[in-house]
Amino acid sequence: MAAAIEIKDLSVVFRARRSSVAALQQLSLSVAEGTVFGFLGPNGAGKTTTMHVLLGFIEFTAGSASIFGVDVRESIARRRIGYLPEHPETYPFLTGRELLMMAGRLFGMKRGALRARVGELLREVDLEDSADRRIGTYSRGMMQRIGLAQALINDPDLVILDEPTGGLDPLGRMKVREIIAKLRAAGKTVFFSSHELSEVELVCDHLAIVSRGRVVAQGRATELVSQGESLEKYFLRVIQHEPAGRVG
Amino acid sequence: MMRVLTLSRVVWLEMIRRKDLYVLLILLVTLLFVLLSLNIFGLGGVVRYVADVGLLFAWLFAIILGVSTAGRQLPQEEAKRTIYPLLAKPVTRADVVLGKWLGSWTITVSCTALFYLLVVGVVLLRGGGIQPVTLAQGFVLHAVAMGIVTALTVAISTRMTYGAAASVAYILIAGAFSIASRVPELLVHEEGFVARGLLALYYGLPHLELFDLRQRIVHEWGAIPCRTLLFVAMYGVVWVLFLLLLAWMGYRRKRFKRGALG
Repeated sequence: MAAAIEIKDLSVVFRARRSSVAALQQLSLSVAEGTVFGFLGPNGAGKTTTMHVLLGFIEFTAGSASIFGVDVRESIARRRIGYLPEHPETYPFLTGRELLMMAGRLFGMKRGALRARVGELLREVDLEDSADRRIGTYSRGMMQRIGLAQALINDPDLVILDEPTGGLDPLGRMKVREIIAKLRAAGKTVFFSSHELSEVELVCDHLAIVSRGRVVAQGRATELVSQGESLEKYFLRVIQHEPAGRVG
Repeated sequence: MMRVLTLSRVVWLEMIRRKDLYVLLILLVTLLFVLLSLNIFGLGGVVRYVADVGLLFAWLFAIILGVSTAGRQLPQEEAKRTIYPLLAKPVTRADVVLGKWLGSWTITVSCTALFYLLVVGVVLLRGGGIQPVTLAQGFVLHAVAMGIVTALTVAISTRMTYGAAASVAYILIAGAFSIASRVPELLVHEEGFVARGLLALYYGLPHLELFDLRQRIVHEWGAIPCRTLLFVAMYGVVWVLFLLLLAWMGYRRKRFKRGALG
């Protein structure tokens, strides 16, 4: 299977005036097309930094990173990506529908196709009734769902989700799981980070655990976690074996 | 271009749905009516006075609107982290800078047109007259000046918070209006370091006074030659392009502070 994401020996060093912080250290990762890939790690491990490199927000110091074979530094690499940031905040003065129309126009979508796609997505995230309300009046869960809808506007082949269930109630989490399952069924690749290990166990085919800017475990979820052990126990075992101290 | 227009449309929607714009409009209408009710200089004097003060307020309000709109755009995207989903799309940082500037400039120019209409309306109501060609020329140059003001503010805001960017922009605009034009007369009395500093100001700041035709409009001195108008407009366009280039250079490699570490 071809790789949707290919990262080799990626290093990112943030330089301040008197110090430098190695956020990623020779991180290598391969995400096959059509998989749901969980990217786990404690706070400050380098998950968001890795995602930001993939999205071209941060320049890396060494190594390489590509999406569907295109270097992440090329803006064309982002044509096939959808991204939901952690705690998505968006323009409170726009309505949900206007936000999705704007997102579609940024992908150069034609008006007719865009309208149809916006209607479809609003149904999918259960926001049809609130589509013409300003986003400033949305609840936390609704914000997350409209954020997810804007990430899917271009029918992306790779969806990058940073803590997609963070702060959601059980119903909201179930909705996100359903959407991820639909994406998997449609053959899309989902790359997501989460602290909710039970969620990860439910939806992921593959996972990687990152600690102090390095991948410390990677593989099929069923192969990594031995029988009788939960993902949480496995995660804690792997992380606790890592030397103490924060890098990224 | 589609992406730039989409981003500028967001600036428009924000401004239309915020109160700043309406506050400025109401304030201008109120001020004009207060001026109308005064009759200190006799009828003829009052009409000219209303036009003069009205156009002065049109300039002041346009600068306030331009700086507050343009200065807020980029820092707000970063502070609210809306920049991330935006840049995750096939949008370049140059698109973001251009879109934000275009939106800020066009909304400022549209409001300036409204301010001019209000002033002209009041002057006509009062029985006064304004030469339409001079007025049109004044408006065109005013619009170009607002291009410089918004581009300057966007350029500063690439590296500063909204408050800091707005403050620096106001200081530079005040300097450009009040000091840059007087440098030649000040230079007569100065030498050495001060003279070099004044020269730096003279060449380093845009000469916004060139775009101000208020006196010509109020006192009906007649239109300026087309060639002069074109030359001043071109001077303004060059400044806008230069400032947008600076803005892009300041933004293209910027590392956003929030959420950079995960």
